[in-house]
Amino acid sequence: MRAASERPPITKVMEFPMTRRFAALLLAAALAAATTACGGSSTPPSSPPSGQPDKVNVGVIAIVDVAPIYLGKQQGFFSTRSIDLNLQTAQGGAAIVPAVVSGQYQFGFSNVVSLLLAQSRQLPIRVVSNGNNSTGVPTADFGGIVVKDPSITSPKGLEGKKVATNTLKNIVDTSVKEVVKKDGGDPNKVSFVELPFPDMAAAMDAGRVDAIFVVEPFLAAAKAKGWKQIASYADVDPNLCVALYFTSVQLATSNPDLVKRFTDAMKESLAYADTHPDEVRAVLGTYTQISEEVRKNLTLPKWPAEINRDAVARLGDLAVEYGLMTAKPDLGTLLP
Amino acid sequence: MSRSSVPKPGGAGATSPVLLGLLGLAGFAALLEVLPRLGILPAEYFPPTSTIANALVDEIGRPAFWTAFGDTLRTWATGLLISVVGGVVLGVVIGAVPFLRAATASTIEFLRPIPSVALIPLAVVLLGTGMDSTLLLVVYASFWQVLVQVLHGVADVDPVAKETAHSYRLGRWARVRYLVWPTTLPYAMTGIRLAASVALILTITGELIIGSPGLGREIAVAQSSGAVPAMYALVVVTGLIGVVANLVTRTAERRVLVWHPSVRKEVPV
Repeated sequence: MRAASERPPITKVMEFPMTRRFAALLLAAALAAATTACGGSSTPPSSPPSGQPDKVNVGVIAIVDVAPIYLGKQQGFFSTRSIDLNLQTAQGGAAIVPAVVSGQYQFGFSNVVSLLLAQSRQLPIRVVSNGNNSTGVPTADFGGIVVKDPSITSPKGLEGKKVATNTLKNIVDTSVKEVVKKDGGDPNKVSFVELPFPDMAAAMDAGRVDAIFVVEPFLAAAKAKGWKQIASYADVDPNLCVALYFTSVQLATSNPDLVKRFTDAMKESLAYADTHPDEVRAVLGTYTQISEEVRKNLTLPKWPAEINRDAVARLGDLAVEYGLMTAKPDLGTLLP
Repeated sequence: MSRSSVPKPGGAGATSPVLLGLLGLAGFAALLEVLPRLGILPAEYFPPTSTIANALVDEIGRPAFWTAFGDTLRTWATGLLISVVGGVVLGVVIGAVPFLRAATASTIEFLRPIPSVALIPLAVVLLGTGMDSTLLLVVYASFWQVLVQVLHGVADVDPVAKETAHSYRLGRWARVRYLVWPTTLPYAMTGIRLAASVALILTITGELIIGSPGLGREIAVAQSSGAVPAMYALVVVTGLIGVVANLVTRTAERRVLVWHPSVRKEVPV
């Protein structure tokens, strides 16, 4: 089911579990939709008559990272800006990009590398808001590398080992390679196995992989088993920008007012989430099944209101360095 | 899921097989309770039956569960209804007109084997990630089950009966009503029974992969939340829906075909 790892990095759009082949199909279909069907049935909602809120569909994934938008909706940050927010959870993130490009969703949530890759393939997308960032604390971040074997004490020790990544040629394996290199190791000596986050701990238990890169709530669960965390997103870059919210170029140009209102509402939501962790932990219970006990203990990401352009540029450099793309991304057009 | 060309609607519903079946189920549940407790299976990934049962009770108390339950049933029933109506009407029309039958046979045989899940990318781009996408998969998969059975049924009309109908100068409508329909009905019922289970499979698949609302999506959410017992509890619920759906279609089959020799067991054929 999983594609061979030496395939060129042309298929993967999203960070979250999804087979490469399926993602490729979606991408191809999205491209077709983008080139042929633009402006057809997929017209975005234009400015409504006064008093009537804009119906806005946002494609998200039911994970910790998107808590601010749920919280912001609860707090009314969107409704006060005349946005009737409808959060649609897509199981695999790979479904979000095509749905945004074709106009089914007005906005979507995606990890940064996927967006850089999508843009490098001429998908008409524009970033509208920050998503989430590393906490900047290497020992307490929301995503990191965990090992079972105590003889592996630092990322350099992953040379010659098998590391589980949720997606090949994306943000997770790029982060692993970077921390191995920073630790003085050879990133090319690390081999990767594609596994969904929920399956990783079981795979390491069974000895099928030597290290796993997991995000919350699985990171907390892995550490609770006594496994050791040897690196995290923060080791790549203390400000590492993990994900962003984006829209289609079509909507960005045809309805800049709606995009601005959404961006403002997101900024308020992100700032609120960042300063109200208890409310974040409560809202997690409304759209995930993470148990209350785990919710209390997991490490939340950082939610800065503004996009850290340097951090995005850094990921772009890494994507080029590790062969995910050939040319540096054009951040001038991708970012607002 | 093999398709029998000769429909065998219903079955002998004796009591002892039911008891034996329940006994087997209880044994399976006990095995799943004991193996994780003895550490033969890792309890973290294979929770014992009692843990799953507890999670199931928790699920039943969650309003979101019932919303998802309703969404799944609605997608399933809507998809099945569209397939059955479409399959029966088109099947009778195509089957009754030799020209149409010859002209469509190759197309049907080409389209039918396309796995419905292969249409997921298309469905997402055309219809987004809502219920409509999953509905497209459900209808595509179950429609052929009904259509092909009805086509077989229409082709199975007894030539002698056909000529008798001619001799009695039955009109077109009367021929469909008294000749084609009684012959086709057992086939159609088999098609509907197959379609019902296929439709359920595709409903859950669509929800799981596309993320359209329903139990499949709840399974995915439970999985990505690390809520292993809740995930298994939801899987059990989908299994129970399948069992009930099968029971209902089998009972309906027996009711509708009371006159048919395959159901009217006491009369020698």
